[in-house]
Amino acid sequence: MKILVTVKLVPDTNADKRIDPTTKRLVRTGVETVLNPFDEYALEAALQLKEKVGGDSTVTVVTMAPETGKEVVRKALAMGADDAVMIGDPGCEGSDVYGTAYALAAAIKKNGFDIVLCGTQSTDAITGELPGALAEFLGVPGLTYVRKFDVEGTTLKAERETDSGYLKVTVSLPALVSVTKSINEPRYPSLKGIMGAKKKTIAPLSLGDLGLDRPIGEAGAKTELVALADPPPRGKGKVVEAADAAAGARTIVEFLREKKLI
Amino acid sequence: MSMKDVIVFIEHTGGTPRRVALEIASKAREVASALDGGVHAVVLGKDANAIAESLKAYPVDKIHVAEDPEVDAYVVDPQVDYLEAVAKAVGPALILVPNTMIGRDVGSRVAARLGAGLSADVVELNVADGRVNCVSPKLGGLTITTCAFKSDYGVATVRPNAFKVAQGGGSGEIVQLAKPAGKTYAMKVDEEVVEAAGELGVEESSVVVSGGRGVGGPEPFKTILKDLADALGGSVGASRAAVDAGWIPHSHQVGQTGKTISPQLYIAVGISGAIQHKVGMRTSATIVAINKDGSVPIGEFADLLVVGDLFGIVPELTKALKATATTHA
Ligand SMILES: Cc1cc2nc3c(=O)[nH]c(=O)nc-3n(C[C@H](O)[C@H](O)[C@H](O)COP(=O)(O)OP(=O)(O)OC[C@H]3O[C@@H](n4cnc5c(N)ncnc54)[C@H](O)[C@@H]3O)c2cc1C
Ligand SMILES: Nc1ncnc2c1ncn2[C@@H]1O[C@H](COP(=O)(O)O)[C@@H](O)[C@H]1O
Repeated sequence: MKILVTVKLVPDTNADKRIDPTTKRLVRTGVETVLNPFDEYALEAALQLKEKVGGDSTVTVVTMAPETGKEVVRKALAMGADDAVMIGDPGCEGSDVYGTAYALAAAIKKNGFDIVLCGTQSTDAITGELPGALAEFLGVPGLTYVRKFDVEGTTLKAERETDSGYLKVTVSLPALVSVTKSINEPRYPSLKGIMGAKKKTIAPLSLGDLGLDRPIGEAGAKTELVALADPPPRGKGKVVEAADAAAGARTIVEFLREKKLI
Repeated sequence: MSMKDVIVFIEHTGGTPRRVALEIASKAREVASALDGGVHAVVLGKDANAIAESLKAYPVDKIHVAEDPEVDAYVVDPQVDYLEAVAKAVGPALILVPNTMIGRDVGSRVAARLGAGLSADVVELNVADGRVNCVSPKLGGLTITTCAFKSDYGVATVRPNAFKVAQGGGSGEIVQLAKPAGKTYAMKVDEEVVEAAGELGVEESSVVVSGGRGVGGPEPFKTILKDLADALGGSVGASRAAVDAGWIPHSHQVGQTGKTISPQLYIAVGISGAIQHKVGMRTSATIVAINKDGSVPIGEFADLLVVGDLFGIVPELTKALKATATTHA
């Protein structure tokens, strides 16, 4: 079975992210880049699926990220992915959801796949929109927010989270599945895995290799940024020591009344 | 100025539109007026006809309906097909969908099909020189972006609680939709399991009472926090520490790996205010924290931090609120 996992490289969540005021893009230098934490769940699900299905199953990681992200991709290989495909073309810069999904779909189709696993969302963009768009461009069913799944032959049975519970869903492969963090506990790379990762292939793909029929990057983007602003200041408010429980409660009631919230 | 219609996807549950659907329908009217266009609502699936009737009370002009059982028998694809068909019939338009677990799928897929720009997690919409601008907090609210569409169609997924619900002001004409031809569906729903019927959920509630590690176990989430949330007409949320400990399901988690929310009032109980928690709730209108430690990070951005023991303060607060409610009744 050909198992593909999309991973995004994101700035470390503890870092103070900044926007470059001229390019209006995220400043990625000087900030440590990590695997999008959500994608580790997708990768873990992929590795477990490979272990279950066995045979000559493979797990391939796919990312659209600058060349400099190679070392981060190695972490996915160290966790156990067999190889990686990296769309590292400078022409990708400025891509929106549409362009990213379109280019990733082209790379995934080129590679071939039975199942594509994605994270729910990225910690920098937090759109959660890529999996849906990617499924469209791949022309396969796209089941999102999956907290549990099982594959028998080409039948996938899954639980899709909803706001009030979940749906039990059946779908045939090939398909795309995005997973939530409830699905598993991602493994840590073993020492052997880390050593082995150095020998695994990270295949670079240029936009030319993908033979795209439409522009990607800033030129192909369907949205444009017209303004950037700082959020309204959220300064330090009042800090009140509660003399006792009743006094603490009174302070809050008075505050809520002042704010006309009660 | 170019004329443009606005199409609103009406997500619904239990026979009524979700509040966020009414919020976006109301905002759609304002945007459509500025674009010299009309407002179309799309209602699909179980109870669609009854919901369409109820939508006449809101500022929508045309209500496109399909009470098609396939919409509920399969995941998202039928909804995407119907919405795509309406969009193509209406022509270049702004399409608003709720930024929810269903809306994000519907929005991203329709945008891909129409070759439309997608603006995610929108909290404000305005029109300047005939162009629609979408305002969204990015990077967990560290920066606020304003984006415009370069495509004929534009899709915006709109955050719950961003807009007020307005009544009246539309012609409310109901049109039955034809079934999109030649479609087969793949993601079959075998069963729907409802665990929290009737609960609004942290994304849509205007008041959220969240508990963290300081709450100490699962019980207080069901008792003192739930009681406080009930007294305020809100829902119970949680930090990741509480979710990871198994005290409350992940659907309640607020923060970077949970939900990003903007309620009118957020009460953080026994939560320190780590950056990954903050990014999920910093756009709340008012933030109150209860913590036994006066030097916690949440003190730096809460409007009020009351320093004391949550097990004492929370029940007292609920009692006081109930007393206030009865004296005002
Ligand atoms: C990649 C990543 C993603 C993450 N995503 C999220 C996320 O989505 N959401 C999230 O919340 N966190 C997230 N975190 C975790 C985050 O960093 C913090 O660890 C977490 O928010 C801490 O939760 P807490 O505030 O409940 O616990 P703590 O930081 O342990 O705080 C508990 C607080 O309770 C107070 N307290 C204890 N007893 C009492 C009492 N009796 N009365 C009053 N106060 C009391 C203490 O003073 C303390 O301030 C993420 C972390 C990472 C690395
Ligand atoms: N540039 C990218 N390269 C590969 N996968 C991506 C990229 N951007 C997003 N994804 C995938 O899409 C998921 C949702 O991301 P997003 O829609 O950006 O919130 C992520 O968890 C990734 O699996």
